[in-house]
Amino acid sequence: MDLQEKILTSFLQLENKGIIDLDSNIHKIREKAINAFKKTGFPTKKEEEWKYTSLKKLLKYDYSLFPTNENTIELKNVKQHLIHEIDSYKIVFIDGVYSSYLSDTTHEGMDICLMSSALKKPKYKMIIDHYFDTITNKKDSITSLNTAFAIQGAFIHIKKNTIVEKPIQLIHFATNTEKALLLQPRNLIIVDENSHVRIVEKHQGLNNDNITLTNSVTEIFANKRAIIDYYKIQDDIENNSLLDQTYIQQKDNSIVTINTFSFGGNTTRNTLEFHQNGEHIDSNLNGITILNKKQHVDNHTLVMHNQPNCESHELYKGIYADSATGVFNGKVIVNKIAQKTNAFQQNNNILLGDKATINSKPQLEIFADDVKCSHGCTIGQLDEMALFYMQQRGISKKEAQGLLLYAFGNDVVEKIAIPELKYRITKLIAQKLNVKLGF
Amino acid sequence: MLKITNLHAGVEGTEILKGINLEIKAGEVHAIMGPNGSGKSTLSSVIAGNETYEVSQGEILLNNESILDDAPDVRSHKGVFMSFQYPVEIPGVTTTNFIKTAINAKRSYLGLDDLPAKDMLKLIKEKAALLEMDRKFLSRSLNQGFSGGEKKRNEIFQMAMLAPKLAILDETDSGLDIDALKIVANGVNKLKNENNAVLVITHYQRLLDYIVPDFVHVLHNGKIVKSGGKELAFELEEKGYDWLK
Amino acid sequence: MNKYTEEDLKKELQNQEYEFGFYSDLNSETFPIGLNEDVIRAISKKKEEPQWMTDWRLDAFKIWKEMDEPDWANVNYEKPDFQSIAYYSAPKKKEKLDSLDQVDAELLKMYAKLGISINEQKRMNNVAMDIVVDSVSVATTFKKTLGEKGILFMPISEAIQKHPELVKKYMGTIVPKKDNFYAALNSAVFTDGSFCYIPKGVRCPMELSTYFRINEGGTGQFERTLLIADEGSYVSYLEGCTAPSRDENQLHAAVVELIALDDAEIKYSTVQNWYPGNSEGLGGVYNFVTKRALCEKNAKVSWTQVETGSAVTWKYPSCILKGDNSVGEFYSIAVTNNHQQADTGTKMIHLGKNTKSTIISKGVSAGKSQNSYRGLVHIGSRADNARNFTQCDSLLMGNNCGAHTFPYIECKNNSAQLEHEATTSKIGEDQLFYCNQRGIDTEKAIALIVNGFSKEVLNKLPMEFAVEARKLLEISLEGSVG
Repeated sequence: MDLQEKILTSFLQLENKGIIDLDSNIHKIREKAINAFKKTGFPTKKEEEWKYTSLKKLLKYDYSLFPTNENTIELKNVKQHLIHEIDSYKIVFIDGVYSSYLSDTTHEGMDICLMSSALKKPKYKMIIDHYFDTITNKKDSITSLNTAFAIQGAFIHIKKNTIVEKPIQLIHFATNTEKALLLQPRNLIIVDENSHVRIVEKHQGLNNDNITLTNSVTEIFANKRAIIDYYKIQDDIENNSLLDQTYIQQKDNSIVTINTFSFGGNTTRNTLEFHQNGEHIDSNLNGITILNKKQHVDNHTLVMHNQPNCESHELYKGIYADSATGVFNGKVIVNKIAQKTNAFQQNNNILLGDKATINSKPQLEIFADDVKCSHGCTIGQLDEMALFYMQQRGISKKEAQGLLLYAFGNDVVEKIAIPELKYRITKLIAQKLNVKLGF
Repeated sequence: MLKITNLHAGVEGTEILKGINLEIKAGEVHAIMGPNGSGKSTLSSVIAGNETYEVSQGEILLNNESILDDAPDVRSHKGVFMSFQYPVEIPGVTTTNFIKTAINAKRSYLGLDDLPAKDMLKLIKEKAALLEMDRKFLSRSLNQGFSGGEKKRNEIFQMAMLAPKLAILDETDSGLDIDALKIVANGVNKLKNENNAVLVITHYQRLLDYIVPDFVHVLHNGKIVKSGGKELAFELEEKGYDWLK
Repeated sequence: MNKYTEEDLKKELQNQEYEFGFYSDLNSETFPIGLNEDVIRAISKKKEEPQWMTDWRLDAFKIWKEMDEPDWANVNYEKPDFQSIAYYSAPKKKEKLDSLDQVDAELLKMYAKLGISINEQKRMNNVAMDIVVDSVSVATTFKKTLGEKGILFMPISEAIQKHPELVKKYMGTIVPKKDNFYAALNSAVFTDGSFCYIPKGVRCPMELSTYFRINEGGTGQFERTLLIADEGSYVSYLEGCTAPSRDENQLHAAVVELIALDDAEIKYSTVQNWYPGNSEGLGGVYNFVTKRALCEKNAKVSWTQVETGSAVTWKYPSCILKGDNSVGEFYSIAVTNNHQQADTGTKMIHLGKNTKSTIISKGVSAGKSQNSYRGLVHIGSRADNARNFTQCDSLLMGNNCGAHTFPYIECKNNSAQLEHEATTSKIGEDQLFYCNQRGIDTEKAIALIVNGFSKEVLNKLPMEFAVEARKLLEISLEGSVG
């Protein structure tokens, strides 16, 4: 049985489990979603949006869709994966199952619960009907696949006028004890007017014994004047792969920043879509990708400027060693009525490896005339003169390279607003680049 | 030459000029001074015909003819020149090409043929020398990458080329060091004669040391609140604008 | 006129077959509409082509039949019905006119704006001319000069007869029959075009222009151009002209192949001003062109294009930088107004070491038009030290048009350096006012600003061409601002 067939059968199983009321809206959404997936199946390289990323190798495994055992892990074994130096709220999943033992949440000013409860409980019906699956791309078949199976993941609702002081950590551990596991977390994050929140998301496999493929979908709603800082830390083990789809809708005067740090994992695909549905919105997309060996990362972004007087700033940097491949596909669409839009998009890459590849598609589609839009893309190497200069002053070539590479990514690191996280990211970068940095 | 009567003008319903009366005769130099926001720049824009501003009342006569219905280019042809406070950059269009186009547009308006290339070149050389302009600026894109001083010098160079009847210098001294200021003022003085007139718009008295006005007007809150000779400028420099309010 | 269908043709053929031999006496000037193997054989026969050419065409037809019309470009149009097109019409003799008074007044107005001389106007409209500017004698002089240098410049059909070895060796090697839908169609049915060969080490002493091409009889619907610059040679080739071309044919699918052998240089300039349709977007030419160049060692190919015409344009002049140290350049200005749609750009395929490419693309959109840049820069794994610089600028005029940029950048070599920049801007109110103040009216000011915007591209055109192209830009944008 191939994976697609297995998925379709599993869907019926899920229906029979009775988790979801078959009369509910959610049931209808799921049914539509599974049919959409059934129709197109997994994306192939023939599709323009998947031209440079193949899922073929990932899909040859016999994934289980529901973990067979309930796994527990000791805190001391995974502490390093959490930002433990500071106080934070933690929402932890192990193989897709919520771990109350490792988690640490509150209900003050916010509502945090499991996606499965939010979809089921009458208390959430209004809000779920209003938000759930409203901004996803229905043409994206793997998003549809996630929608059909949405039970894992978190529901986070920050109420009006709430400044959430402590960051929220959203951690998905994969024990890799099943032969091959397909995880499908689904998050819904709603930040109401005047509220601020910082979220750190991480997918972490714990050993390379088996394989986990994660197909994650997150919907984020920033209401008026909301501020959201979101950090995606992708430093997974070699065996695991991630398909991450994030959809953001913003209302007037809101500011949303998504920072994506891709260092680990086998294959990573980040789909990131911003929909600006109000005025004076600021959308920020930052990313650093540092890859080696045969790693592959595809950053696929879209910013829809639907209303006037909004801004978007996009900055992605990539360093590719060995036989790593990187893809940057950035699209900015400026609607006819979105006058006075400022949209900037920049993608800079350094190829280190003999067999490394970068494919970049920075696109602009402009339908309004009074706008400032630009994009730039560079591919190159380290500045030979700078290397020589540093060597002349006694710094080894390797160290000089490391420093220059670090400097290359620095403007993205500088944007990190949580000092402890900044420190960690800096360390991760140094580690990945294999240089000592005097911090 | 220029006669403005009871001029009211504003932008998007907000009245900025509230009844200006001003008469400038051939051969005269007038200065309009006033604090920020008094309407100085609006006045120059309205005379030049910037469509951002709406004239609600009053009249502007140039040589006894109303120019209110004329487009900015027609006003230019009729002899109105405005030196911009912030000269605009036009990428890819050289200063030479730009001024050539302007001169020939005016000639065509006057029913003349294009100026032969030879004469054009001679004229450009002559006027560039007057402004002590390095000729490399002439072949660069209009105002692009020019320093503040270079831009203003370029403005007066264009004035020299177009030989206007009425030259309005809008805050021409801003952004100029003293040497550039002298060159610019010197250029203006050389161009002045009994058949043309100059209207200097400025916040500070500094420029008026070099371009000496026959009359000074103080603009405040959209009206000329005081007029006098050049001594008025010194008085303003000393006492500031507050005593007039 | 009733459509002359295939059935009619068959009937006629059956009737005439014995009498005159198969296809030997098709004296009708236009073939029946529709496309099948018989029609292709007939075209080939009509051109008195050798068997290998006929077979080549038939092979292309077979390939074409299996292909689908592409729809990835950012253009919308009603797809042509390929079975309702007549694929061959002999060059019609233009009616001789006695004076320019008989020429369409609109056309004359346009000529005047473009600054085309009276004599030239006469020539273009087939008005009888005096001895001084007899184009035939001009052409003869040209031919003599070229002949002395050993340069071959002739219609492609003539080259198939006279220089089959060159045609056989190169045709279809740069743009293979199966390259794309329109290239396959062109390969099957092309009827017209130019052939040019510059021998080793020869520097072509003049701009070669289709304009002066000898024996030319109107531009065909499916043009095929083959240009070979042998080792160390140089040629500058001009295609098209600024004068508006009204053409009955709605679909144009040309193929241009350039071969620059070691150390050769080709400069290929195009001004395209096909009928763009009226202000409502009705009519107008569909221009689907495949242009590609191969650069061998140290060779250089430079494409320069000014595109103002056609209702729909689909065109990507490309360079395959196969040889080490070869250079590819693309300079383009595309202006769209009213309902025009242009999807144009280039492909730079870097295969050799130390290869360099430069792309400067300027798009001006006005009215309700859509203007897209689509380009590929590919650096192969063996292309050490490859360099590319790309700049795409768009200028929007008004709020009903669109400007789009779709660059594809693929890099598989870690010593390559690429830079891509794109900007979008509009003509500022402040720029217009400044020009107005200096006495330049709005229309003229726009022309001035657009010319400044396009300067880097216009500068690449041969002198006389540039002057006309500049005027053409102005005319194309007339009335685009209220």
